[in-house]
Parts: sequence; structure tokens; C-alpha cells
Amino acid sequence: MKPKVIVGVIFIAGFTSLLFYNFGNSISTYMDFAQASTQSNSSNVHVVGDWDNSKPSGFSYKTKTFTFYMKDLKGNEKKVVYPKPEPNNFDQAKRLVVVGQLKDNTFYADEILMKCPSKYNADGSNLKSRGPKKN
Amino acid sequence: MIGQIGKILIISAFVISLAALFTYYKAAKNQLNLKLEKNAHRLFALMGLMVVAVSGLLIYLIFTHQFQYYYVYDHTSLNLQKRYLMAAFYSGQTGSFLLWIMWTALIGWALIKWTDDEFRAPVMLFVTLIEVFLLSMLLGFSIGPVHIGASPFRTLSEAMPNAPFLKAHPDFVPADGNGLNDLLKSPWILIHPPILFFGFAMMTVPFSYAMAALWKRKYTEWIKPVLPWTIGANLCLITAIFLGGYWAYVTLSFGGYWAWDPVENASFVPWLVGVAALHAMLVQRGKDKPKKTSILFSLFTFIAVAYESFLTRSGVLGDSSVHSFVDLGLYDQLVFFLLAVTLVALGMFFYRWKDLPKSDGTSRLLSRDFVVFTGAMVIFLSGLVIILGTSSPVIGKLFVSHPTPPPKSFYNNWTMPLAIAIAILSVIGQYVWWKKYDAESLSEALLGPLVISSILAIATIILGNIHDIAYMIYVFAGYFGVVGNAFIIIRLYKKQPKLIGGAITHIGFAVMLIGILASSAYQTNLLDPETRAYNNAVKHGKVVNKDGTTVMKQVNFFQLDKGQPKKIDKNLTATFVNMKMDNAARPGQQKYTIKFQYKNGKTFLMHPVVYPMLTTSTANKINWSVSPQVKAGLFHDIYLYVGGSSYVQNINDELKNNPKVENVTERVKNAGQNESSTQDNNGKKSDIVSFKFHRGQSKTIDGYTFTFTKFKKASDSELPDSSVIGVHALINIKEDSTGATKSISPLFAVVQKKGKKLSYSPPVALNDWNFAVQFSNVKPMSDEIQLSVSGLKNTAQNDQDAWVVVVAERKPFVSLVWAGIFILMIGFSISILRRWADDKRRTERMKAAKSS
Repeated sequence: MKPKVIVGVIFIAGFTSLLFYNFGNSISTYMDFAQASTQSNSSNVHVVGDWDNSKPSGFSYKTKTFTFYMKDLKGNEKKVVYPKPEPNNFDQAKRLVVVGQLKDNTFYADEILMKCPSKYNADGSNLKSRGPKKN
Repeated sequence: MIGQIGKILIISAFVISLAALFTYYKAAKNQLNLKLEKNAHRLFALMGLMVVAVSGLLIYLIFTHQFQYYYVYDHTSLNLQKRYLMAAFYSGQTGSFLLWIMWTALIGWALIKWTDDEFRAPVMLFVTLIEVFLLSMLLGFSIGPVHIGASPFRTLSEAMPNAPFLKAHPDFVPADGNGLNDLLKSPWILIHPPILFFGFAMMTVPFSYAMAALWKRKYTEWIKPVLPWTIGANLCLITAIFLGGYWAYVTLSFGGYWAWDPVENASFVPWLVGVAALHAMLVQRGKDKPKKTSILFSLFTFIAVAYESFLTRSGVLGDSSVHSFVDLGLYDQLVFFLLAVTLVALGMFFYRWKDLPKSDGTSRLLSRDFVVFTGAMVIFLSGLVIILGTSSPVIGKLFVSHPTPPPKSFYNNWTMPLAIAIAILSVIGQYVWWKKYDAESLSEALLGPLVISSILAIATIILGNIHDIAYMIYVFAGYFGVVGNAFIIIRLYKKQPKLIGGAITHIGFAVMLIGILASSAYQTNLLDPETRAYNNAVKHGKVVNKDGTTVMKQVNFFQLDKGQPKKIDKNLTATFVNMKMDNAARPGQQKYTIKFQYKNGKTFLMHPVVYPMLTTSTANKINWSVSPQVKAGLFHDIYLYVGGSSYVQNINDELKNNPKVENVTERVKNAGQNESSTQDNNGKKSDIVSFKFHRGQSKTIDGYTFTFTKFKKASDSELPDSSVIGVHALINIKEDSTGATKSISPLFAVVQKKGKKLSYSPPVALNDWNFAVQFSNVKPMSDEIQLSVSGLKNTAQNDQDAWVVVVAERKPFVSLVWAGIFILMIGFSISILRRWADDKRRTERMKAAKSS
């Protein structure tokens, strides 16, 4: 019994520390374009920002990419290229997260996450000021 | 008025639930007091009835479109179909709480009926406690700065106290509501959420039983009665998870049936913990067994539900999930709920820690206790891994300041070895469960399954061209799970067929594992040769943009020009046949028909759909959404959606260049149609389409292909008098969607009347297809003729440049995923029946013992 308990404890401890170690490595932090440019060899950079709808955006069937301009939270603006058609809900998004790589002043996104009021919950899709605000 | 009644009912239900809680406590505290207990049941039943009444009121408000109420305004609209009005009852945050509370009340009634004396009152105490917490989420009143709950009966001005317009006009009633999100308008919403919440409600039972066992120090007796409930809760949750995955797969364009999205994980983790608890109960149900793990895991089932509810409902996942709820101001209360449940449960557990039966320390490595316990532990650990990943916005702060969610590979890499371990343990566990083995006899017994599954795995590795060593092990483990458990079934079936539930469940799980690997790791994009060549060039860094930068991303879609077949795979050709408006389903919805043809001549059609999201569109900018289409097959599915089309682009351009203020619905309905033409009742154009073509050529109009094969001279008898010339044109017409063909030979004649030349061309009616064809002109010099068709939409003029962009994926063996889940459900159901019968026998024995 005793050795089994020890093996079990060692296993669980090893498992947990490995899990946490790997977890810490696999998540990254949200950043702005300036920080992203220092990590140009990482292709898993998350940049938060807003769509600049004053600049041209759209899907080109020639280059087969969806292109738009995004301002990060500090106001820096970069062109974002996404190799898929315009995602659903793109222009309702209050906030965008692009995941990918910043290279040559262009952000190549593998994924665009849209912070919408909610996809599953029609809550407030048209009403901007909603609910009793927390704090 | 009704809203006031509703609010009062919620508050009364809350107060009564508190009273029931107190009475249950009094009834169960010392000696069981049956009279007090009866009163508590009455109170609980009354609370349940009130919750039903509250739900009825909310449904009434929804169906009578009382938009002065925020919930009704926010989730419904006048034109919403009845079934979606029904679904709106639980499609919002507060409504879904209400549904959850109602189901828990129902479970409570069932517990009152079916639980025996010793556990009834203490179990109901904890069920009521959870009802108290859940009801408090709906109270909707403030004590000073503290808001408690959000009522579904809030009026608009209560919900938005700061909106200036509503401040000035507090009694304002909007003419129409926001409506239901278009993505939710699918029949699946009628079935997936109710079953999911029923599963959550059922998870209350193992939690309450474990609490009751701790409180009453009946550490052994609780397991038998709780077993059927636990299996039932797991069956319910896996059904809901399956329905959710299937819904996402066939109607939402998320790309597959599972995406490790936090909201998906929110239902998956309680299931994993529930399954771990079930296995712990099975090994610890005997009299002299340790009990700590089964109790602890049972407590965790509901803690997991509470934690995942907190994650998805509090708004903390806002950045990382595509579909979590927004914060309704319930954040603090959800934290309180989670902490209270956790602290009460774990506090009770550690309070009894010393008292809990200890392990006698004799279990061998290959005993059933040890193997099944290890299996339960591994299942529990997979739950922990997923919780950790899902919690990245909270726990990730230990590592970075603004943590992002982990990539999907985090979940895949961690769950894969655990799944392999579970599959292998499921076999060993079953073997040692039914018979005692030592290492030698076990390896002997496992020889058969090992050999068979190795052969199957090697065959799969070769045929499937698997190179990854981890996948190889995984495939072997999957086969081992299927074959090993099948051996057990064969052995058991002869003796005790009632007991095969567990082994069947394990087979289902293993089948599902194989299906998951095949359909996700080996899915391929269907692409035409040019795109493949382009991707290949991109891979080697040979494609350069205009500005000199290298293109880095491969393309995963292809374009089809109307009527032009394209080879998209070794033996598959795709043709864009036509696009038809389907305004009846949704205004502005387009149904595309794409024909696929295999090399061997077999064809099938797929009908992906594109529609405007009217709830979020404006008259000048339309949000388009897509519904994918799945062609399910035994060996692979073809999954496809339309990423864009000439039609959509034309409307977008038209709206951009010609902004108008008008009703967006009308605009979408009319967009892209010729305004001068009229529509008949069927929405079909009744104008005449004329087109010219040469002998041997084909033209496609509105889904019909006309082929002009040859001329035939008309006989004199069929020509009118004084005809100068008369000729038939042989035309073959094919309906592209069905492949049906017809041949006609319309006549063209020139008649000389009073010195004038007049043409004579009687229309040929095609009654089955509702249109008529006229041979309206001929140019004898060039063999060109003109046909005029009435009853079809004029799509000819755009034909040359009509195109559609298609994303198509081949997903092998998705069928196995579904088959595995079905087998799992069957296994669970068999086990429920068995455990239920067991428990009934036990209670009858007890009754008999009492009366004698």
C-alpha cells in the first residue's frame, strides 16, 4: 500500500506540474502591434483592437484573402490579412482579436475572434447601452 | 401587471424555498420526523408549482408580444415562428435559469416519490438548497448598492435605467422586438437546451446524496439508490452534448462538431466528472470499501456545474468564447454561488474526513478496485485538464497579465494520452471486474483481444497512411477498447445478459475515439488542381504579393463558375448548378445547388444556404450568414458551405453604390431582381426570356439546360396555309436538379399574308415544369435560332459571370463518432435499468425485513 501511495502521489504531482508548465507555455498574453512586432517569429500572437471602418476592407477573390485595417488599443494601425472569406458577424463586433503573425508591417491572421454581445444569446445586439452596468 | 405578478411569484417562490429548506432541516436533523417532512414536501411542491406558474407567465408574455418587458423585447419579435417563441423562453440568460429551476423542481418531486425514508429528507434538503441559490438569481431587487438577481420580468426602463429616451418615456412600448438571433433559428434549439439543463438538474442528485451521506454518516447506504440517478444524469448530459455537437456540425459554420469552446467544455466537464464519480461509486459501493473518492467526486459533479455556469454566465469568457453570455450584473452573485457550493461541500467533506471509512490497504495492482479506481482518476484528470484550459482568463493570470485562451492543441495533446489510458483501462477493468486475475493469467486472457486489435491497428495504419506514432498508439487503444469489451460481452451474454451495459458503454467510447481521430486529424479540403498547385507554391514560398512580400497562407476554398464542372478531388467533380431564392424560409435566403459527380458516374446534389442576418443588418449593409450542408456517408462526410457568390457580391455592391433608407427585409427580398418584372403567386417571374444559340450548343436558364440538337423540316400538313417556310428545331431540355429530360420540337414558320411576312410559332407548353417554349426566330445563314421561354426567371444574362466560392471538406468516419455516442447511450440505458432493478430489489428486501 505505502509504495503505491507514493507512486500515486509522485504521478499526480508530476502530472500536475507538467500540466501547469505546458499550460503556462501554451497561453500567451494579449498585446498591441508594437509588442507583436518584436515577436515576428511567433505565429500565435494575439492582438486586440478595433476595426477601422473608414479604410477599405473586403474579400478579394483574386488574392483569396479578406483584408482590413485594425487599430490596436494604443491607436497603432496595421493591415490585417486573413486567408478566408469575411467571417460571420465581422462588422457587428465590438472588439476584435486577431491571432497570427506580424510580418513586414502586415498582420497575417489565422483566426479572427469577434467579441460580439453574444452569438448564442441575442442579448443587446442592437442596444449598445445595456443592463445595469457593473461597477 | 402580469410582470408584477411574475415578480411577486418569484419572490414568494424564493421565500417558500427558504421555508422548505428550514423545514427539511428540522425534519431530518435528529430522528426522522415524518410529519414535518410531509410539510416540507408540501412547501417544496408549492415552490415548484409557483416556478411552473412563473414560466407560464413568461411564455404568455412572449406569445402575446408584450415588448414593454425587456426579456420579451430582447429575445423575440412579431414575425418569429411559434416554435422559436417557445424556444425564446430559455434562449436568454434569465429564462435559462428559470428552465433549470423548473427541471430541478421536477427532479425534486421524483426524488420525493422514489427515495426511501432514510435519505428522502436529507437529500431534499440539499436539492432545496440549490433551488434557493438558483431562485436568488431571478429575484431582481436591490438592497442598497447590492443587486440580487435579474428578473425576467424587468420592464425596459428597469433594464436600462440610464437610457435617456426611456427616462423621458418610462412607459414606452416598442412596436417590435429584437428578435431571435438568426443563428439560433434552427429546430435544434427546441431540443438541445432543455436536455442540457435537465442534465444539469440531474447532477444535483449525486451531489445531494453525497452531502446527505456525509451529514447522516451513512457512507455505504447512499450509493445503491444514487447509482441509477448518476447514470441517468450522465446519459442526459451526453445526449445534450451530442445534440449540441450535431447542431454545430450541420447548421452552424463552426467547422465541425467540437471546437473546445468554453461553452462546449462547460457541458463536457460535468459529464467527465459525473462519469468519474460513477466509476468511483461502482468500486466503493461495498460495505467494507473506502468511500472518500466516490463522495468527493459526487460533490465535484455539481461544483463543476456551478463553476462552468460561473465561467459562461459571468462574462469572464467574453474574450475567449464565441458564444458565452454577457454579464447581467450577476457576477458577484455567481461567484458567491460557486464559493458557497464549494465551501459547503468541501467543508462538510473535511469535517467528516476522520470519520470516513478508511481503505484497509490490501488492494492488489490487478484488483478490480485498483484498476477501476485508476480509470476513474484518469477520467477525473481529463476533466481537470479541460477546466484548466477553459479557466485561462482566470488561472492564466498566474503566468501573464492578459492571458489568452490556450490553442486547441493544448486540449488535444493532453486529452489524447488520457483517452488512450482510459480505453486500455476500460478493457482491463472489465476483465478484472468479472474474474480474478494475476499478471500472468490476465495476459493470457487478453491475448485474443491484443492480437485482433493489433492486426486491425496495423491494417488501419497502412491503409490510412498514418505516420504519427501517437496516432498509431491511439488507434491501437481504440481497437483494443472495442475488441476487449466485445470479448467481455460475448462471455457475459451467455450467462447474464443484463450486465453488459458497462462493456457496451466502453465499446461506444472506443468507437467514438477512432471516429474523432479519423474525422479531425485526417480531414482534407477538397480543392481543384489549380488551387492545389497554388498552395504547393505557397508552401515553398514561391508566391509573391504585388508589394514584394511572400504569401504565407494557403487557400482552402475554390471557385465554381456556373455550369462549369471542376475536378476537386481524384474522382470527384463539382458543378455549380443554380441558385434559387427561398424567401419562405427566411427573407433573402439563397439556396445553392451544387452537383457532385464521381468518376463512376454517380451523382449527388448539395444545397448550402446563404442568408442575411436581418436582426443585425441595416438597409445599407447586410451581414450574411451561411448554413453549411453535410452529405453524410458511411466512410466519410462531405461538409461544405458557400463562402461567397456573385449574387451576394452584386447585392453588396448595389447597396454600397446605391444607399437607400428602406426596410431591410424588403430590400433583401427584392435585391438582385429586375424591378420591371412582376411576380406571380409562386414568386416566379412571368416575363419572357429569349436567348439565341447555334446547333449543338446548350444554354442554362433557371436550372434548365436547353440543348439545340438539329433542325427538322416541317411537313406541309402541320403548316398553316400560305406558309413560305416551316422548320422544327429539336430541343432537349434537362432539369438540372433532377436530371429529368424532355425533348420538344417547336415549330417556326413564315406565313405570307397580304404581302406581309409574318412569323408563326406556337408555344410548346411543358406542364410538369410550368413553362412554355417558343421557337421565335431563326437565322438560316448561321444556323442560329432564338427561343423564347415564358415562366422561367431570366438567369441567362448573368450566366457567364455567375460564380460561387465553396469551402468543402472531406471528414472521414464522422459516422463512427455518432455511432460511438449512440452505443454509449444504449450502454448507459441498459445500466440504468439494471441498477434501478437492483435498488428496487433492495428496498423490497428492506420492507420485507421490517414487516417480519
